[in-house]
Amino acid sequence: MTLRESPPGAELCVTGVRLPAAAAFRLNEMGIRLGTLAHVTQQAAFGGRVIAVAGSRFALDGGTAALIDVEPVERRA
Amino acid sequence: MSCHGSAPGPDLGRSTTATLPATLRVLLVGGPNVGKSTLFNALTGARQRTMNAPGTTVELATGTWRTSAPGTLGSVTERAIVDLPGTYSLLARSVDEQVSADAVRDLAQSSGEVTGQPGVAVVVLDATALTRSLYLLAQVAETGVPIVVALTMLDLLATTSDSPAAAVEPETLAATLAAALGVPAVPVDARNRAEVGRRDLARAVDDVAANPRRVTGIAQLEPPCETSVAVPGSMPHNAVPDLAQELSHAETLFEWVEQVLEQVTMGLAPESDARTATTSDRPLRRTFSDRVDTVLLNPWAGIPVFLAVVWALFQLTTRFAAPLQNVINQIVNGPLASAITWLLALVGLGDSWVRGLLVGGLLAGVGTVLTFLPVMAIMFAALGVLEDSGYLARAAFVADRAMRSLGLDGRALLPLIVGFGCNLPALAATRTLPNARQRLLTGLLIPLTSCSARLTVYVLLASAFFPRDAGTVIFAMYVASVLLVLGGGLLLRRTAFRDVRTEPLILVLPPYQRPHLRTLGASVRMRVGSFISKAGKIITATMLVLWVLMAIPVTGQHSVGDVPVADSVYGRVASGVAPALAPAGFGNDHAAAALITGFVAKEVVVGSFAQSYAVAKPADAARPGSLGEQLRASFDESSGGHGGAAALAFMVFVLAYTPCVAALAEQLHLFGWRPTVSALVTQLAGAWVLAVLVFQVGSRL
Repeated sequence: MTLRESPPGAELCVTGVRLPAAAAFRLNEMGIRLGTLAHVTQQAAFGGRVIAVAGSRFALDGGTAALIDVEPVERRA
Repeated sequence: MSCHGSAPGPDLGRSTTATLPATLRVLLVGGPNVGKSTLFNALTGARQRTMNAPGTTVELATGTWRTSAPGTLGSVTERAIVDLPGTYSLLARSVDEQVSADAVRDLAQSSGEVTGQPGVAVVVLDATALTRSLYLLAQVAETGVPIVVALTMLDLLATTSDSPAAAVEPETLAATLAAALGVPAVPVDARNRAEVGRRDLARAVDDVAANPRRVTGIAQLEPPCETSVAVPGSMPHNAVPDLAQELSHAETLFEWVEQVLEQVTMGLAPESDARTATTSDRPLRRTFSDRVDTVLLNPWAGIPVFLAVVWALFQLTTRFAAPLQNVINQIVNGPLASAITWLLALVGLGDSWVRGLLVGGLLAGVGTVLTFLPVMAIMFAALGVLEDSGYLARAAFVADRAMRSLGLDGRALLPLIVGFGCNLPALAATRTLPNARQRLLTGLLIPLTSCSARLTVYVLLASAFFPRDAGTVIFAMYVASVLLVLGGGLLLRRTAFRDVRTEPLILVLPPYQRPHLRTLGASVRMRVGSFISKAGKIITATMLVLWVLMAIPVTGQHSVGDVPVADSVYGRVASGVAPALAPAGFGNDHAAAALITGFVAKEVVVGSFAQSYAVAKPADAARPGSLGEQLRASFDESSGGHGGAAALAFMVFVLAYTPCVAALAEQLHLFGWRPTVSALVTQLAGAWVLAVLVFQVGSRL
């Protein structure tokens, strides 16, 4: 599934980034890489999402969120 | 130009401190919104000024960081300090980021030379976002520049739950980081101007300057110019050559960051397994900012809130500022003008051209600058509050969709809307855009937003020529303005701004914070000062030139300074210009003179009409009286009986050409000569073409 399809409150692991290479690189530099764990904290207009990653909040527009593949993370008991 | 061959190469590390050879140079390096500027203000106090990075329009704050050794009298140490534009990486993607990257490398190179000047990079680490901050630190360390770490956002650690350093004491975190990195790490709670933090930082900087140390685990790279291919840093803005190689190198830095984070986490929680202490398994606790964002970023509430914020800005720069402007205007034209006249009378020049030059030229220019001061100060303060509070990043996110088609950041919508109030503060608001090309593009579109001064012209002409449909005509002018902004934006993106692309929006949302008043005050003072010293001079000089043109007679028996407009050089120029306006239907001297006066300010167009027809300026532009009759007569005459079409064409011309000398001066200040002159010529040509089109079509309907 993609980040755009993820509801607020979801806990996710980034499994793929299909953005143009330069944008994907910047995403990596900013701390969002394959295997990064994220929480969706907010659903915004036009499919935009806010995610929490290691203490930071990132806002991504709907188009960008649709190009980031994620998998839900099951919380350990 | 620096040796790495990258686009505009500001030699910042040297040039900014060239006048202080013995002074230690300090660069503040860090990501956007990490508290760099707050730290800079705390360190420099009032000893600061703004300057453009050489060869660019990127604004930098430079200052003197002065400390005295405790217990000593007169032993003062001064350091030259520069607050660099915030960047996430030294692999620059914009001119602003390139300025930061080049400055760091220049400082590294100069510090490394035997004859070079000593310098230290203070890397500002956001304690709540260590992953991102440490990556930048690694890149800075690779340049070989001596480094001191300044830890900020410490007060927010207590409220975060998913940061590696969540709920840790500042001193503990600093000590753990210093041990892991091998360089000093100083907690600086600059928001409270913590004396201790600043003193410790000064000591650490002086110590590292004398005994440079390497960051543990990071090897110094060869300077980029000595290697064959793209080593990090050789990348020109907006281009990413050999991305695979860059990425593979970055991977090693990412691994280093993970190792440091692991060491820090182990150091902070030695009794537990680092794996379980990391953020991944901690439940996310919603912060205050998260709760506020559920409203401000909500699809239904976010846009009305954004519009309300812009409306408030609009009101502040128009209605709220207007009484202040009136008071200044009255003081300048009343007591101040009288005082100058009285003083001149004392020396026998009370009725000479000198009085005209001083009062009508110089004082009018200074008065114009002074009346804009409240608008500019209010705008800078309001923008500072929006930026420091964290809302501006949200505004960019909310407005992103609207600006995407123009290739602009969501933040560009704010200045464009403010432009409908007054173009000048709107131009000032382009500073909030993080990318120089986007600032320029927005700055070129702002003059097309119909400011409230132009409304007076619309009201006069619409009431005189279309008394029944005046409201509709005025509304149509605003629609035309929006269309011009959109059309102009799309046109520019396909021509001079092909490099401005719609990039994926990946925006860090800083936590909401209370703006720091002292920092805000310093920034407003610095920017208003910069407006006076740069744009102010151009405005005053233009007003003086205009007065001289109006004061010199070319026909008739007049003395200098006592000339009817029609007989002055100015009148002659207007007569010369008038035939060029004939295809637009308003090729008469009155319209030409009004348009030339309109360069100074659109508010004076109505007054210029009244003056040239020698009738009283109407108290209410919507009831034009005899001025309306005169206008109809001359427009009918110059348009061959199509006065209405000519009046519409005139309004379109007023909408599309240069807004005023103040806006022009501010454009010059922000963007330099070439874009400003090109814009001026393009606006005049565009206004003429549109006006001719409107008249030629309108007169045939």
